[in-house]
Amino acid sequence: MAGGFRVLHLVRPFLAFLPEVQSADRKIPFREKVIYTVISLFIFLVCSQLPLYGIHSTTGADPFYWMRVILASNRGTVMELGITPIVTSGLVMQLLVGSKIIEVDNSVREDRALLNGAQKLLGILIAIGEAVAYVLSGMYGSVSQLGTGNAILIILQLFFAGIIVICLDELLQKGYGLGSGISLFIATNICENIIWKAFSPTTINSGRGAEFEGAVIALFHLLITRTDKVRALREAFYRQNLPNVTNLLATVLVFLIVIYFQGFRVVLPVRSKNARGQQGSYPIKLFYTSNMPIILQSALVSNLYFISQLLYRRYSGNFLVNLLGKWKESEYSGGQFIPVGGIAYYITAPSSLADMAANPFHALFYIVFMLSACALFSKTWIEVSGSSARDVAKQLKEQQMVMPGHRESNLQKELNRYIPTAAAFGGMCIGALTVLADFMGAIGSGTGILLAVTIIYQYFETFEKERASELGFFGL
Amino acid sequence: MARGSSQSQTTSSAGGAARPGTVGPRGTPAATAGMRRRRPGGGGGGSSGFTGGGGGSNMLRFYTDDAPGLKMSPTVVLVMSLCFIGFVTALHVFGKLYRYRAGGTS
Repeated sequence: MAGGFRVLHLVRPFLAFLPEVQSADRKIPFREKVIYTVISLFIFLVCSQLPLYGIHSTTGADPFYWMRVILASNRGTVMELGITPIVTSGLVMQLLVGSKIIEVDNSVREDRALLNGAQKLLGILIAIGEAVAYVLSGMYGSVSQLGTGNAILIILQLFFAGIIVICLDELLQKGYGLGSGISLFIATNICENIIWKAFSPTTINSGRGAEFEGAVIALFHLLITRTDKVRALREAFYRQNLPNVTNLLATVLVFLIVIYFQGFRVVLPVRSKNARGQQGSYPIKLFYTSNMPIILQSALVSNLYFISQLLYRRYSGNFLVNLLGKWKESEYSGGQFIPVGGIAYYITAPSSLADMAANPFHALFYIVFMLSACALFSKTWIEVSGSSARDVAKQLKEQQMVMPGHRESNLQKELNRYIPTAAAFGGMCIGALTVLADFMGAIGSGTGILLAVTIIYQYFETFEKERASELGFFGL
Repeated sequence: MARGSSQSQTTSSAGGAARPGTVGPRGTPAATAGMRRRRPGGGGGGSSGFTGGGGGSNMLRFYTDDAPGLKMSPTVVLVMSLCFIGFVTALHVFGKLYRYRAGGTS
């Protein structure tokens, strides 16, 4: 503490202006939690359908096309930014803390408060920054076309939407709701996407007569209308440009695999020092950090894409910019830019197995990148989030739990044997599953599916826990 | 004292489940028996409490502590969001009306 300038203290003057949801001062009953969660979800869904006021057009390139699903954002609506600001600020803070640029003593109250404040402030700043960048880069029509008043209005709307997402997330996390806002919004968005791709009744004319977009509907439609049933089936299963039944089956398969892996865990027996005979267990799951590695990884990638695309459009001749990523307009979905070179290309999933065979180096690089990024993020995350061996040992000690057959001082060492391994290996498994899902062409990208499944599983667990604790209270 | 009451969410999630275990046995033997019975039942109380503590990293936990700032109750947050939605809708409506009027006069 002795002197020295600390970056964290820069946040202090702003702390008083940051919105802050009160912590629950009583135990919120389960029913009330569900109500809060549902209302928040409702607000989010309305926001992601409500178009922004004052925009001219949303045609043209969409630099975030790849990450729309994962970042729970929707083009041209109030939720244009989705949860990008929160996740990005979380990522940045994590990196800053992890690399010791910002020093935080987690045992000091004020430091934690300042860190939270810094994270929120950064989130709001990122929201403003991205809003301004969107408007100025002409995503909604050029500024002269919009008029200054409208441009400011758009920025204001996006900014407020950002604050609302932050507040809703905080509301849910502070114990009023179930889980966290971020996960809830992501999962809803992805599920919506999958259901839509499976059952969408929109017809698209792609030169061979009208076709339904939804895979299941298209299957029945083709089976009924075509005379050659075998060819109809093949068409429904393997059509290229629209979601097909194989994609849907791949999605279901990935879903099941992840659920299966969720059950993998090492159970450490613990027992209480006070109450004799009270046995407990401390499970260390294979997916110890769950979906955090992917969230962080996708935040990293999406920001890289965004920057790379902006730079490429301005200075496409520059060597460094080309190294970062070269972009080309896609033939299928109009106006989408896809990476064709540079780093951005190599960290994008190959579009199909054939593509993979054609560019083995790309596929290899992608796999290595995914696995190592996930493992790394997973390992740093346990330190930041307070679930490393040291923190868990402290927690168990506070609850007067010991491991039978080990001395108390040994607890941390014992936990240290499992937790970092579980974190790194679990992160790698998550990465591998994502790659697998991508290669099989699961709907909504491998990352999306993985996120959705892990989140839904967490919610399932939370429900069980809440029910158990309710019962426990009534039982006493 | 608001700080004291809400020491932190992290401990309360784990402590909440542990409390019935540590308080219970001092009472009647029946309570103890009840506790024992519950223990093996899928680890209803204890182990799930731990999962909350250890696996808390699953969710993005950013705002677990109380910090000084503009305090808002959850209702205020919800009402604020609804107001925002209403405001944007109103903007759309007025925008349409204005454009219609402007188009009519010119």
